[in-house]
Amino acid sequence: MKELQVSLNQTQKIRLQTALQKLQDLSSKVDHSIVAVADTISVNHEDGFLKGHGTFELGGEVVATVCGVVERVNKLVYVRALRPRYQAERGDIIVGRVVEIVPERWKVEINFSQDAVLMLSSMNMPDGIQRRRTANDELNMRTIFEENDIICAEVRDTFQQDGTLHLQARSRKYGKLEKGQLLTVSPYLVKRSKQHFHHLEEFGIDLILGSNGYIWIGEHVEARDNQENPSNQQNDTSNGRYVNLAVPEKTYTALEKRQQICRIANAIRVLSSLGFNMTKEIIMEIVNLSITLNVEIHEMLGAEFYVRVAEKEVERRSSLKMGRG
Amino acid sequence: MDHRISLKKETEYISPEGLRLDGRLPSEMRQISAEIGVVPNADGSAAFEMGNTKVIAAVYGPRKVQNWGQQINDQALVRCEYRMANFSTGDRVRRPKGDRRTTEISLVIRQTMEACIMTQQMPRTQIDIYVQVLQADGGTRSACINAATLALAAAGIPMRDLVTSCSAGYLNGTPLLDLNYVEDSAGGPDVTLGILPTLDRVTLLQADSKLTMDAFESVMQLATEGCMAVAGYIRRVLREHTKQLELRRGV
Amino acid sequence: MVGLSAGEKHFIKGGIDQDLRSDGRKRLTYRPISIETGVIPQANGSARLRMGDTDVIATVKAEIGKPSHLHPNRGKVAIFVDCSAIASPVFEGRGGEELSTELSVALQRCLLGGKSGAGAGIDLLSLNVMEGKICWDLYIEGLVINADGNLLDALGAAIKAALSNTGIPKVNVAAEFSAEEQPEVDISDEDFLRFDTSSVPVIITLTKVGKHYIVDATSEEESHMSSAISVSINSRGQICGLTKRGGAGVDPSVVLDMISVAKHVSEHFIMKLDSEISAAEADEAGS
Repeated sequence: MKELQVSLNQTQKIRLQTALQKLQDLSSKVDHSIVAVADTISVNHEDGFLKGHGTFELGGEVVATVCGVVERVNKLVYVRALRPRYQAERGDIIVGRVVEIVPERWKVEINFSQDAVLMLSSMNMPDGIQRRRTANDELNMRTIFEENDIICAEVRDTFQQDGTLHLQARSRKYGKLEKGQLLTVSPYLVKRSKQHFHHLEEFGIDLILGSNGYIWIGEHVEARDNQENPSNQQNDTSNGRYVNLAVPEKTYTALEKRQQICRIANAIRVLSSLGFNMTKEIIMEIVNLSITLNVEIHEMLGAEFYVRVAEKEVERRSSLKMGRG
Repeated sequence: MDHRISLKKETEYISPEGLRLDGRLPSEMRQISAEIGVVPNADGSAAFEMGNTKVIAAVYGPRKVQNWGQQINDQALVRCEYRMANFSTGDRVRRPKGDRRTTEISLVIRQTMEACIMTQQMPRTQIDIYVQVLQADGGTRSACINAATLALAAAGIPMRDLVTSCSAGYLNGTPLLDLNYVEDSAGGPDVTLGILPTLDRVTLLQADSKLTMDAFESVMQLATEGCMAVAGYIRRVLREHTKQLELRRGV
Repeated sequence: MVGLSAGEKHFIKGGIDQDLRSDGRKRLTYRPISIETGVIPQANGSARLRMGDTDVIATVKAEIGKPSHLHPNRGKVAIFVDCSAIASPVFEGRGGEELSTELSVALQRCLLGGKSGAGAGIDLLSLNVMEGKICWDLYIEGLVINADGNLLDALGAAIKAALSNTGIPKVNVAAEFSAEEQPEVDISDEDFLRFDTSSVPVIITLTKVGKHYIVDATSEEESHMSSAISVSINSRGQICGLTKRGGAGVDPSVVLDMISVAKHVSEHFIMKLDSEISAAEADEAGS
């Protein structure tokens, strides 16, 4: 949760407090499962138990090593930390930034405790043909991704021994991301789900919610399904993946699309500073709320909208509860 | 030396009613308060106040080791830098960076925090702890350690236990808890203690000036009680913070 | 500081060209500002100012001093900035020194003027206690807590807030003293004079990106700048200082245009700042 950077007036403060109090009333009891560092976790010693993440044994008792929520799955007891760094799981979709190119691999910054590694052999070549990597490919690595490029990939494996994390980008939906903006939020706010790529068709925008808390919002790029066809070369230029940045004005994002991108980005910024969980649906609700209320894009980061979003979340959660009840 | 003695004679640090100069009882701590998340760029951060002493700690990491030569293959590298703002003391002094006092406190904080971080769980990474003093009114070491504990916990770095710290001294024949600047500069002993409250271990102990064995025991006892009280407070702050995060996240 | 990909840079540049920046602002819109005064009670005046994610503290300490021989009727002011390592690991050790010095010198130029101090934004004559004998020395210190661009403007505004939070004690000078002696002074503990800050300028930095210029650039936008011009302007619209930063050269006519834009922007900014400062003062008094 980021500190609130805007100053609220007296009424807004009270409204925010009321909204947060309501959220507290709505949530099922969390109190007893919250632990701080060195708190004892009660376990059933007779049934046997397995200690998971965020715990260690001290004098026959299980003790938390991080702050978080105690979770129990069968016999496994672990602490789900609400930590700012990314905890990788195999198959996660992540967004990251290339920081270094070394022989046969790219090193990628993904808000993890180490740079992740993307091997040249773990990704599809631009010509799309499955083949052995040649020395020539290795020399041309920089034409695929260079330093500072933003890419999207999947977590292939984590080797806990040396902490290295390997990525892969075998599907066409992975690759370089251009023409848009990258946001960073706490990874725990992005829930793992089946869908992390969202093509918002009505706006022509791609929204990628990386499990590592890096979120990409940019112009939609068609997955190039038939790129082995050489006649497709021209299409590549037009769909924006290999744009000629030498003539900038011609390739700037259209104003209308840019407005949508910024609106979505600010919706995410507000949700992040409030510490609310974010899914595509919630983000779009906030976008719509801002349009309904006729809030200008940059005003979305102001105090009034901040409080509005908190109140909206109360509404959303209570209606969810009603639906369930 | 003469000056110190004359000062001792003139100033009564405890009134006949048993109150200290700032109105506290001998075993009373100053008002403490803490706030988590004051530096948005950091992975974990906290402000900690003990009376007028005010510090901010920020933690970056665990992240890739920046200077490859410093990498440790079986545990995390813990680093610490302590800095005092020029305006933090009553009289304005422009102090050079990296003077001996600064270097020593940086080292003390690093060693104290390293004792509780489970470094072997994060091999080949680096954890940076930066502590900035905004106001110094006695007990800065303790305040820095308490702030660093909060910042590390907020960054989600696994720890064996919380480290908490408090100081105590001995003036006018009475053990005093949590000395402020005036009491600290009175020339009596100042015992700074850091403990792991659950594991019941001492990780930091520093004292200056003469003290009889008996007096030391009572001062140490008092400092321990202070540390326990800080631990109780820090634990409440962390639980409340975690609860708020979970609550707001929803799902 | 921030490494950006070609695609992101292109996007930022395009946004500035179309007058819609990444967070939805127009070229001349500021991020939300919030101010808290009296954050460092040990100082004579202090303020914490946040502009978006940029977060700085400014403090003022007043000490009795002796005016210099050259300017017997003026007080002295010194400004120092420190970039704390808590703001970023790159400021660790001596890492922040270059930036700290750049900011300190720029602030001195913008607020204090030249050696004589005649045209200074801060009125040095008001710091005179007794000509040639006694004056006030102000030590202004800035501390960067979190950096997300536009540090100079934020520090300038924080200093203005800290100065208006500053109480300068009333001084009684002993009536009798010989010409060679330093007179005795009695500094009051209770009576303070509020420092008049209505003439203290604000600093407006215009960052040039492509053909256009923007105010209140974030660090992402700053990593993209070709050059920037910081102008300090007071409420009467007078320019009190100026500094050009960044490597690229700027066309002289563009410089003039940038200054006139800065002047225009300053009117709104001063109003906004003044209302935030008085709100903060009211808050402090209330609590």
